[in-house]
Amino acid sequence: MKYRQILLFVFAFIPIILSAQIDRSKAPEAGPAPDIKVGEYNSFELKNGLKVFVVENHKIPRVSYSLILNIDPFTEGDSNGYSAITGDLLGTATTTRTKDQIDEEVDFIGASLSSSSGSVYGASLKKHNDKLLELMSDVLLNPIFNQDELDKIKKQTISNLAASKTDPSSISAVVKDALMYGKDHPYGEVVTEATVESITLEMCEQYYSTYFKPNIAYLAIVGDVNLKEAKKLTKKYFGKWVAGVVPSHTYPVPVVPESVHVSVVDRPHAVQSVIKVAHPVTFTVGMEDYVHGRVMNLMLGGSVARLDQNLRETHAYTYGVNSSLSQDKWIGNFSVTTDVRNEVTDSAVYQILYELNRIRTETASTKEVEKIKNYMSGNFALALEQPGTVARFALNIALYNLPEDYYANYLKRISEVTPESIQSAAQKYIKPENCHIVVVGKADEFADKLAAFSPTSTIDYYDAEGTWIDPAEMKAELPAGLTAEKVVEKYLAAIGGRSVLESIKDISIKMKMEVQGMSLDSEVLRKAPDKFLMSMSMDGNIMQLTSFDGSIGKTTGMQGEQVMEGDDLEAMKVQSAFMPELNYSGLGYAIKLQSIEKNEGSDAYKVEITDPLGEVSFAYYDIESGYLVREEQTQETPNGPSFQSTNMSDYREVGGIMYPHKMVIGMGPQTITGITTSVEFNTGIEDSVFQK
Amino acid sequence: MRIKTFRICILFLWIFSLSLFGQQNKIEFQEFDLENGLHVILHEDNSSPIVAINITYHVGSKNEQPNRTGFAHFFEHLMFEGSEYVERGEFHDYIQNAGGVNNAETSFDYTMYYEILPSNQLELGLWLESERLMHLRIDSAGVETQRNVVKEERRQTFDNQPYGSILEEVFSNSFTHHPYRWVPIGNIQYIDQAKLEEFIEFHEHFYVPENAVLVIAGDFEYSHARKLVEAYFGDIPNGGHEIYRPDVTEAVPSEEIRKNVYDNIQLPAVFTAYRMPGMGDPDTYALEMLQTLLAGGQSSRIYKSVVDNQQLAVEAGAIPFDLEDAGLFIVYGFANMGVPLEDIEAALDEEILKVVEKGLTEREFQKLANQTENDFISQNTTMSGISTNLADYYTFFGDPELINTEIEKYLAVTPEDIVAVAKKYLVPENRVVLHYLPKEQQQ
Repeated sequence: MKYRQILLFVFAFIPIILSAQIDRSKAPEAGPAPDIKVGEYNSFELKNGLKVFVVENHKIPRVSYSLILNIDPFTEGDSNGYSAITGDLLGTATTTRTKDQIDEEVDFIGASLSSSSGSVYGASLKKHNDKLLELMSDVLLNPIFNQDELDKIKKQTISNLAASKTDPSSISAVVKDALMYGKDHPYGEVVTEATVESITLEMCEQYYSTYFKPNIAYLAIVGDVNLKEAKKLTKKYFGKWVAGVVPSHTYPVPVVPESVHVSVVDRPHAVQSVIKVAHPVTFTVGMEDYVHGRVMNLMLGGSVARLDQNLRETHAYTYGVNSSLSQDKWIGNFSVTTDVRNEVTDSAVYQILYELNRIRTETASTKEVEKIKNYMSGNFALALEQPGTVARFALNIALYNLPEDYYANYLKRISEVTPESIQSAAQKYIKPENCHIVVVGKADEFADKLAAFSPTSTIDYYDAEGTWIDPAEMKAELPAGLTAEKVVEKYLAAIGGRSVLESIKDISIKMKMEVQGMSLDSEVLRKAPDKFLMSMSMDGNIMQLTSFDGSIGKTTGMQGEQVMEGDDLEAMKVQSAFMPELNYSGLGYAIKLQSIEKNEGSDAYKVEITDPLGEVSFAYYDIESGYLVREEQTQETPNGPSFQSTNMSDYREVGGIMYPHKMVIGMGPQTITGITTSVEFNTGIEDSVFQK
Repeated sequence: MRIKTFRICILFLWIFSLSLFGQQNKIEFQEFDLENGLHVILHEDNSSPIVAINITYHVGSKNEQPNRTGFAHFFEHLMFEGSEYVERGEFHDYIQNAGGVNNAETSFDYTMYYEILPSNQLELGLWLESERLMHLRIDSAGVETQRNVVKEERRQTFDNQPYGSILEEVFSNSFTHHPYRWVPIGNIQYIDQAKLEEFIEFHEHFYVPENAVLVIAGDFEYSHARKLVEAYFGDIPNGGHEIYRPDVTEAVPSEEIRKNVYDNIQLPAVFTAYRMPGMGDPDTYALEMLQTLLAGGQSSRIYKSVVDNQQLAVEAGAIPFDLEDAGLFIVYGFANMGVPLEDIEAALDEEILKVVEKGLTEREFQKLANQTENDFISQNTTMSGISTNLADYYTFFGDPELINTEIEKYLAVTPEDIVAVAKKYLVPENRVVLHYLPKEQQQ
């Protein structure tokens, strides 16, 4: 008391000095560090084994009661979800109250009362305390499970499941857990419509009668109450709860993947990708380097930490990114989460992995580490404002067998963290080479780039429930009534329209080609109905010339001039046809719509084209734009069949016609890239040009 | 006759219990104005060695021009970019180094910034807040980065969320003239179009001491804190101009507006937005009590009927959206699988009609009072909660004492008042009805 008065006395003089001294150009010095006291709690145990913690706080006339059951996690198999539903069923009826009565009595005193598979929570103003405990005890000790209430909850659960299938963050959480822990582990099991459907009243009754026992329960009482009152009240309301043997469970500890595993959940309408980089980790409060791990994680992915600086402030990929290193008695996990716009998905993953590696390989500066330590110490103090924090500490000490002074020494533990201890914690707890990369988003826009993070360049696709999807089954169905003719007609309309195209009599195209580091110039001239000339030159010297004037075809190259004959000539005739798309049937072509295929991430119609000579090729028309985006053909060569593909992109308007300005030709292992430098129509090319 | 006596009896009991309680929990504070017009409120509480600083500027999205929506919120981001003596990115560093936390929030009516710090760092918090009021640095580097960050914020919270567009749809359909017709996140295109000078002008206009209230709550000593505030904020010049506040009276709606919105969702949902008066209107208290009657707790009318008994919805309720100039009372329901929205809408209407036609019982009315009392007492448990409430009461009511007395305004509401506001506001011609439907159903 005296000390406080002296302190006040001293403070009273400080301001005068201060106001004379302020210097805006630098941050003010902190005052003397305040004394941080971890609040006290009392505990006692009822005869039935219920352990009670009491944290007194008389600021406002309110008391809360939080009861937690220490149940080992276990799998629920084909009826996954029954423990959660049991939690919902508590409070729907007791031996003396209907649901309507319970609801009305709780609301009447302005209280809250809720339950889950392993907890019951109640809070009210102090003056309604007895009533609240009467209700809480009734719900906990005398429940009745009714079929119609179960049906109601099942119906709502199934509706909620449907809703969460459209929520990208829910999807990513479900899929991440399924991958990280395995679907046969309690933490990785997925609740589905089918598992919920199969839940019976007996399962819920069985679960309740097996696990709701006082000897595995902890009750935290926080607020305007003293120890004596608490003892009296708990004895009165929870003393008759009967103890019993509760089964324990163990499971194999989930392990990290052998190498980076890339998984995608496709959401074709998404405008953002939800990214998670995660893996399981053995991390439990009380471990020797627990606090070091926590400081390390904060430095990596706390608010305004490294990941945020990188992805938000430097690259502006995201509104926010964070990492978590979550402790758990059985198996913890490390996880980075962020939402980014579609087009930077792979870049964001790259930067995340970069930061994960950096914190492992580089020792941080003392300055950076001190900042995080200060932040963590300060936050520890801030959290103590809430009396619930002390109750949580008490519970942890009991659940994890921590020394009684664990939290009293917490600030001291933080002060022991060093740049070196952070680096070793990072090496121990962060595994960028053995992580799951899970992305929920518009796969078209990033899937091919994301594959690069996998050592085998593969991506596994999953549905919203974490079920693996066979890539062969991913093809979209063709719309009924659609024909190849309609697809081609749409293409013609998309590039300018039939009437414009029919008015064209000749075309001149110049291109720059890149072949194995060499640069070639190519010029192609075409004239209706079937005249063709192509020259390839390098540094102005013509390397090869191919021409067809309607009857004679020639190639001129380094081997001299060759006149085409037989099949070659017939093929040349067909290939020289001027825009055969305008009249496929009249020219003797057969076309057939085959399927919808992915082309560079977008859906395209695949059309089979059989030319008048019986040669088969394939054309891909983009579903959205209608453009021709790819052609494929297999040619017989002396060395066996050779597959050739041409991808066309960068459509740009020239004289009212959309023309692809980029071509990528694949021939076996070789890729040739062609960039169009000029396209002209109807320049009036003389027939004699084709007779070279 | 007996009923009346009974009610008076109950009323008396409440007042008695409240005054008892009031003595225990009264929140003491001091307030004063600096010469430049900055209003300051101090609440001393030495029980934990922490301090919460809140500075609320009386500018929100409603103070924006229609071709510059999103400005107020964008500015909230810019305020972290640095000042004359705080380098870019250092703001967060200072707070973290001090062991504190901080954040900000922009609404239709206000922009609020706060820090929670260990109590020995009070001066640091005041230095940082005064710096960005006095010397904010607005440059193209900061603007460019935050442009992209805000775009991602919009994508994350609006565009990529099921039902994410709800706020925008509700407000743009409910208001045709008032700036409430756009939401704080605004339109990205306007931020792209804005020039650097416009951001600077915005700061010079709205970020002036006379348009702000500074609240400090926690472990300090009054005269010490006052001296610090005077030292850090006293030299900041006032704006000396009239602050732009929209003077738009939105006509009372005359007919119901209905719209279908197609979204990437599984469960259809109905949102009904009734226009309600602005903050402080006595009717708003009755409307809030009506909200508790309809949707406060599992025994509330809508929950009991629509969710629990008829099982039409997975979730249904009501939210009063209190805003300074005019608010919206939103009644909503998310359909259970296979339930048509028409059925939910009819059931929600039915509950409103029941209030209008049959009123409420004594016990229900007492329940409302108990719930209101519980909520009121529970809201002031932390220093940051208290500082935010003091700032709000000052900004919108000019009366921070309401933190102790506003409960009286709720308890002055009679059952007849509740019926009267239901009758007056919750009528079809005063509402916008939005049906959220899965995209697949779009023709």
